[in-house]
Amino acid sequence: MHPQKSEAIILQHIDYGESDRIVTFFTPEQGLLKGFARGARKSRKRFGAALEPFSGVRLIWRQRPNSSLLNLQEAELLDLRDGLRRDLKALALAAYGCELVAALFGEGGAHPEVYAMLKSLLDQLNVDGGCAEYRLLLELRLLRLSGHEPHLLHCAVCGGALPEQVHFSVEQDGSLCPACRVPGARPVSLATLGSLARCRETPADRFAGFHLGATTLGEGAPLCTAALDAQLPRRIKSREFLDRLEPLPPAPGGAGHS
Amino acid sequence: MLDSIPSFARLVAELAKFPGIGKKTATRLAFFLLRQPRAEAEALAGAILELKEKIGFCSRCFHITESDPCPICTDPGRDEGLLCVVEQPQDLIAIERSRSFRGRYHVLQGALSPLDGIGPDQLRFSELLQRLKGGAVRELLVATNFTVEGDATALYLAGQVRPLGIRVTRLAHGIPTGSDLEFVDDATVNRAVEGRRDL
Ligand SMILES: [Zn+2]
Ligand SMILES: [Zn+2]
Repeated sequence: MHPQKSEAIILQHIDYGESDRIVTFFTPEQGLLKGFARGARKSRKRFGAALEPFSGVRLIWRQRPNSSLLNLQEAELLDLRDGLRRDLKALALAAYGCELVAALFGEGGAHPEVYAMLKSLLDQLNVDGGCAEYRLLLELRLLRLSGHEPHLLHCAVCGGALPEQVHFSVEQDGSLCPACRVPGARPVSLATLGSLARCRETPADRFAGFHLGATTLGEGAPLCTAALDAQLPRRIKSREFLDRLEPLPPAPGGAGHS
Repeated sequence: MLDSIPSFARLVAELAKFPGIGKKTATRLAFFLLRQPRAEAEALAGAILELKEKIGFCSRCFHITESDPCPICTDPGRDEGLLCVVEQPQDLIAIERSRSFRGRYHVLQGALSPLDGIGPDQLRFSELLQRLKGGAVRELLVATNFTVEGDATALYLAGQVRPLGIRVTRLAHGIPTGSDLEFVDDATVNRAVEGRRDL
């Protein structure tokens, strides 16, 4: 079988026995793939640091007969993103981004725009460290890229205009006017929804240069997390780690905990 | 084929649970044991049982030991002011082998892992902080692996320990990124300890 070649981002590796590793990576044209890297744990000759999580690499692999696991042949390290290793929040967010991409786009297929988004997020965390804005942007982008965009600037139920004080419901898929409000919906200001909508309109692979106010982060972050949660097929392990480092601000009004 | 010889099949199945041992190797080992004199087989079985009976974790440093506290913790010749943090007992052994460190140790029994959701509560962190609050330690040498998990652990430790007024250092690079300490040669570990840098 012919070898295949692609640029990729390493999402994770697990040790296999004494000397080998199984590597999960994301490519622009084939999405999520898994490969077997013989000797990668014990010897540094063949793969070096190229299979470290969050690295940008160029990989060469071959298909294995009767197996979905590919045989990794070569890995050329393009960018280790060493800066991530100097900031715990950046590391936690990088892990969160990678795990979310794997959970939402794990079925294979071409996802060049998801690849570009993840690459850009990791690059930004690498140079700038981690902050709350990046988590919110990541979640907004993933909602859009996975085709789940909650209604923000009009009522999700009646389509009507919104007053200053609005409620938001994941179940109703967006903002709610007072007439359509359901129990459990969380209060949110129109200004926050406006900021979220503006962020959402920016290119998915842009992370630099956003400065969100405390209210937008305080109201918007739990809302984005809850909306994304409704789309996730499984528990996100890196979320617990991230929340421990930087707990989400409490939902205003205390309503609508997820 | 093995089904007709149940006792042989049972041994192969047990041996194949070892890391890095597949069914083929397990079968080879089982044939080897079959050819050995009975006394050799008893010695092996005895050694395994003795390991499980005698070895536990040191209640101070969490290294494996036959006596509690362990010989390293009770050795009067070691510097009480220097404490080296490692992920696993095999990492402690790697540093001891390099003969570059004469302080005491603390084994975390793992590392923080953002990707696996492993936080400080799942490790021996609170016990470490308790030891550090005792006041004898001047310098904490972080000797976690140069992996994402080891780096995350080092960053977290630095953040927790620096406010206590204790110097926090880490093994110098020179140990390549992505490495487990147990696979690094002694001379490199020695240089990394000698050249440790502030975190
Ligand atoms: Zn309405
Ligand atoms: Zn001890």
